[in-house]
Amino acid sequence: MLRKTFETEIKQVKDEVLLLGSMVEQAIIGSVESLKKRDLKASGQILENDKAINKKRFEIENQLMILIATQQPMAHDLRLLASTMEIISELERMGDYAKGIANINLRMGDQPLLKPLIDIPRMAQLGADMLHRSLTAFINEDLDTARAIPSEDDEVDGLYNQVYHELMMYVIQDPKTIERANWLLWVAHNLERVADRVTNICERTVFIATGEMTEIPSSSDMPGKS
Amino acid sequence: METINANKVEVKGLSVRYGKFRALAEINFAVRTNKITAIIGPSGCGKSTLLRSFNRMNDLTANARVTGEILLDGQDINAKGVDIVDVRRRVGMVFQRPNPFPKSIHDNVTYGPRLYGIRNRSDLDEIVEKSLRQAALWDEVKDKLHQSGLSLSGGQQQRLCIARALAVEPEVILMDEPASALDPISTLKIEELMHDIVRDYTIIIVTHNMQQAARVSDFTAMMMIDDQRAGRMIEFNDTNVIFTNPKDKRTEDYVTGRFG
Repeated sequence: MLRKTFETEIKQVKDEVLLLGSMVEQAIIGSVESLKKRDLKASGQILENDKAINKKRFEIENQLMILIATQQPMAHDLRLLASTMEIISELERMGDYAKGIANINLRMGDQPLLKPLIDIPRMAQLGADMLHRSLTAFINEDLDTARAIPSEDDEVDGLYNQVYHELMMYVIQDPKTIERANWLLWVAHNLERVADRVTNICERTVFIATGEMTEIPSSSDMPGKS
Repeated sequence: METINANKVEVKGLSVRYGKFRALAEINFAVRTNKITAIIGPSGCGKSTLLRSFNRMNDLTANARVTGEILLDGQDINAKGVDIVDVRRRVGMVFQRPNPFPKSIHDNVTYGPRLYGIRNRSDLDEIVEKSLRQAALWDEVKDKLHQSGLSLSGGQQQRLCIARALAVEPEVILMDEPASALDPISTLKIEELMHDIVRDYTIIIVTHNMQQAARVSDFTAMMMIDDQRAGRMIEFNDTNVIFTNPKDKRTEDYVTGRFG
């Protein structure tokens, strides 16, 4: 086959993207888990793991650069490699959200959580699950799945709104809780952004498969959503 | 007011046969004025046959028979009474291998104009400078215009051939793999000069080099042979579309190197 080397290298890159994706997934779940348990040591580990995520992203980027320079990809190949560049950058930023959550846990020190975490772990679970499926859709170029996932963002946004209103109630009842409420609001915000970035990955998958560069409509705008 | 046709050349239902063998079948497309159109496709798909149709070079091949129309500014170049010399003046050609005449650089450039009756020495000198400047060769040869064209490097020889083609002020320039025998720097020089001169000309280039087609052309025509081994145009589009999101699976396979 004419393209054996190139095909093998593309497959290697895709495997690396899956690996990066699973590192980010674990970071998202782990960061919320350690916050829930107020496990500072585990949050410290999340920060360490983030360095590995960043390193992996640069490695893949380098691999992509070499492929673009040596194989001079066209058409579908070009869309795939250019989009993969975008996707790994989305993944790295998602890793940063997990890192942000770990930092919040560390900054809270020995202060207790304002409230037991219920919706926030659900947001993390939903986001990580969406991420996992979006990467599977990317690998398989599964158009239907890629187009369907962004609508699940509504559920994450719904949970965010719920968390937001709940935390506001605490602040209204006792303004001294404002700092602790704010921390949790930031956690929820980070998780909400994770789901947004999953949508970006799905858009890239649609682009790779069809060449159409369009936004996939998901949720309506909400307060604080950029 | 002079109107400029958006389409310099229109090809309608063009077929070319060599004896019983049909080399080109039912080609329909338009070449835009002052644009570069690339013709790509695997070996034997009829690219060069199509290119040679544009200045009736196929007339030189025994048994060749052309049907359909090639309209140059709306006029069929194969119609009865059309002056073939005039067609070849209006539609110049640059070949794969540089083929300067074994004459001086000056004589190479003035060969065409002399043929068309220009004798005045200063007129000819002016044509030489203008053509060599357009071909981005003037600065390299202005002090040795009376040396043999064959004394130049391969890349310079090819630019000399382009200057020779430009000297008769053609409207369309056909290029058949003009850089395939050249090193990368000479190739880039040819590509740069194509960009420079396309303001005044219409260029059609046949190339096997996909990156070259992607770099230089505005439009790309993709050709393939069908079951009867006749060359057909399977896709014609903006070059940007052909190389990022081609519509035909066979174009996709060809530009990504799955065959060819």
